[in-house]
Amino acid sequence: MNRRDFLKDLALGSVLLRFTPSLLTQAKNIPDLAMIQGDSPALITKEALAALGGMNRFVAKGDNVMIKPNIGWDRTPELAACTNPEVIKTLVELCFEAGAKEVTVMDNTTNQAQRCYARSGIADAAKAAGAKVPFVNPYRLKKMALRGEWLKEWEVFTEFVEADKLINVPIAKHHSLSRLTMSMKNWLGAIGGARNQLHQKLDEAMVDLAAFFKPTLTVLDAYRILVRNGPQGGRTSDVKLQKTIVAGVDYVAVDTLGTGFFGLKPEELPCLGIAQKRGLGQMNLEKLTIEKRTV
Amino acid sequence: MKKERSKKYRFLQILRILSQAGFFSLFFYLLFVTHFTGKDYIGRVEVFFHFDPLLAVATSLAARAIFASFVLAAITIVITFVAGRFICGWVCPLGAVQQFFSFIFKRAKLLKPKMDGRSRLAWKYYILIFVLVGSIFTLDLVGIFDPLSFLYRSFATGIIPGFARASSAFIAILYSLRLSSVGDALAQFFSAISLNQTFRQGFLLSLLFFGVVLLNISKERFWCRYLCPAGALLGLFSRWNVGKIRIDLDKCIKCNLCTLHCETQANPYPNEEWRSSECVYCYTCAAICPTNAVSFPVKAAPEKIESVDLSRRKLIFTTLLSIIAVPFFRITPAGKRASAKLIRPPGALPEPKFLQKCVKCGECMKACPTNALQPALEEAGPEGIWTPVLTPKIGYCEYYCSLCTQVCPTGAIKELTIEEKIKVKIGTAWVNKNRCIPYALGSPCIVCEEHCPTSPKAIKLVKNQALLPDGTVRTQLAPVVDLDLCIGCGICETKCPVVDDPAIYVTSVGESRSEKNRLLLELIKPPVQAEEAK
Repeated sequence: MNRRDFLKDLALGSVLLRFTPSLLTQAKNIPDLAMIQGDSPALITKEALAALGGMNRFVAKGDNVMIKPNIGWDRTPELAACTNPEVIKTLVELCFEAGAKEVTVMDNTTNQAQRCYARSGIADAAKAAGAKVPFVNPYRLKKMALRGEWLKEWEVFTEFVEADKLINVPIAKHHSLSRLTMSMKNWLGAIGGARNQLHQKLDEAMVDLAAFFKPTLTVLDAYRILVRNGPQGGRTSDVKLQKTIVAGVDYVAVDTLGTGFFGLKPEELPCLGIAQKRGLGQMNLEKLTIEKRTV
Repeated sequence: MKKERSKKYRFLQILRILSQAGFFSLFFYLLFVTHFTGKDYIGRVEVFFHFDPLLAVATSLAARAIFASFVLAAITIVITFVAGRFICGWVCPLGAVQQFFSFIFKRAKLLKPKMDGRSRLAWKYYILIFVLVGSIFTLDLVGIFDPLSFLYRSFATGIIPGFARASSAFIAILYSLRLSSVGDALAQFFSAISLNQTFRQGFLLSLLFFGVVLLNISKERFWCRYLCPAGALLGLFSRWNVGKIRIDLDKCIKCNLCTLHCETQANPYPNEEWRSSECVYCYTCAAICPTNAVSFPVKAAPEKIESVDLSRRKLIFTTLLSIIAVPFFRITPAGKRASAKLIRPPGALPEPKFLQKCVKCGECMKACPTNALQPALEEAGPEGIWTPVLTPKIGYCEYYCSLCTQVCPTGAIKELTIEEKIKVKIGTAWVNKNRCIPYALGSPCIVCEEHCPTSPKAIKLVKNQALLPDGTVRTQLAPVVDLDLCIGCGICETKCPVVDDPAIYVTSVGESRSEKNRLLLELIKPPVQAEEAK
């Protein structure tokens, strides 16, 4: 695929993404967001996808699917620094059930990649479900035109752009600068370069990246959430058991709903306001249909 | 006279080559797997070093300690007592490298063996004496000359990084040729084996290794003949062994091929002048003899025969030289005041003890997952050259990792469990407010706080008013270090966006191993290591 085709597809895709969900909602009564609570991370993930109309709605037969968890830190699952491995495993399974040809799980980690992949439990879990779990490959890092409001271009791992479907699976955590890190902040793991310089305008950067990557689906892991000392934590006392999955196409809405777990108001997260203003999603929950269930 | 080469010794020669290849592969394999492989504990990948009697003797002398793990070196000594320097000829991986390149250079006609009248074989004995006398006075220089340390260090900090960089270039070529699936596979492979690619002095250390290899152009097994103190030590033990050369004078045609091609100048012919202490039992002489006159019969009664002439004058001179050298090695501020940049790996013993035990092998540098451990140049004084120094600008100490403590062959870095390791403080972080983005420029950052691995975080954020060039004031969250919580891991410095001279940096002050390098008295806790030793 050359650059021109890619940009065309991107434009087309964004138009489709913008209108498809609302059309579907009208047709089938599918909610904008699913918020499922329960004891089993696997089960609530499955239920959330079922509530959104099933993985078939997002993944077509023969698709190459890229799943982007947060594997940023050398921390085990109970410390809630990385996405829950069972959630990832379930999503990989659902993708294959929907006919995906290949599922890849990848993240540009902060601590040593080998340690993060192994100790987060994500590599083993995703591999067990049949996914490929490669390390980010510096040779596939390309400077790309992001056409963001702040970020005009940046180094991106091309696999995230070339995949047919992109599923963003962040974990909800405290963060000192952006207040929280959820779906939009998670895109910092899909890029390379001097990521630490993005902090100078982090909220704008997050929104620019989210607008660029345009995930097919966002699944927010709030099974365990990190309420302080984010984004790494380190003690189980930093972790709150929320036992919830929030899933939806509108990542701004997903993040808005996630804000509530931390007792914050959506207005307190600058990135949500910026994203809504740019028409990337809805942060007014009253305008959305949400299916809330406990299983 | 019937001309016929010995089939038996040709076979033994091949067996010896296989043995050398096998032991070199084992050495290399253990080096290769010294990295994070998914498990917290790595196993005894350093075991090769424990068979080295030179390291055992010198380090025990220097550290005034008996090492249980070095019991294995007794095996080497016993073998040498009974059978001579078999270990040098059949096992030593550096010996294998030397012999391999001697062979190559001989084949390439770069090296033409000549009869050597002058004997410089004594050099290695003088080096041995120098090292051992130094050790008696706690100056541990053995790591500089020990063959295993030399080989491991050269590979870990020079040859492998060079190879890894060459592979990177190769992978880049694959991508440019649109062979991206091969490129992907190779890139994944290299990610998984995590080869550290960045070493201060990496160029110099590689150069030393190549230098030692190139010396084989001048003489076969140059290192083993003239320089190796471990070989010298084994030579001392091998004088009474039971396997002696015998030349059948009825068959001998006095062609001198055996002496000419002797790898280690052991002088097979004439029989009486054969140097038992130099022979490494490579069997080149017996295999090359055109009349099958050379053999190595086993004699039940060991007899002492010819060895290298060590002049008593020179022995006394070397001993004196070593004694005189000791104080000169210590004319350095390193012992007087702690050095800010001398950040040792977690578990490192207090500095004088550390220097007595560290054999500069580079195991820890190979194991470090972030490439943080670097060979020292001058930070620890001249005797501390090539000892490990954590350099946060290159890499940081991974919070839940204790690999370096597990692989140290001499316990210079005390073995720690993960639970013990996270309590060890190796230094303290400092904010340079003149360069820190929120303090100096009034822009948001907090990258150091985000990466701080302790919980609660050692880096706190406070509101700070920065005065901008136009006179306006901007308030930002800015980092302040809580000395009580900071463990000095250095991830803040590694990840600081002020790349050239990080605005947060770690110095050694406050390290838990030192009783002197301290800061606030109220922060002093009972030393963790002393507690664990009980």
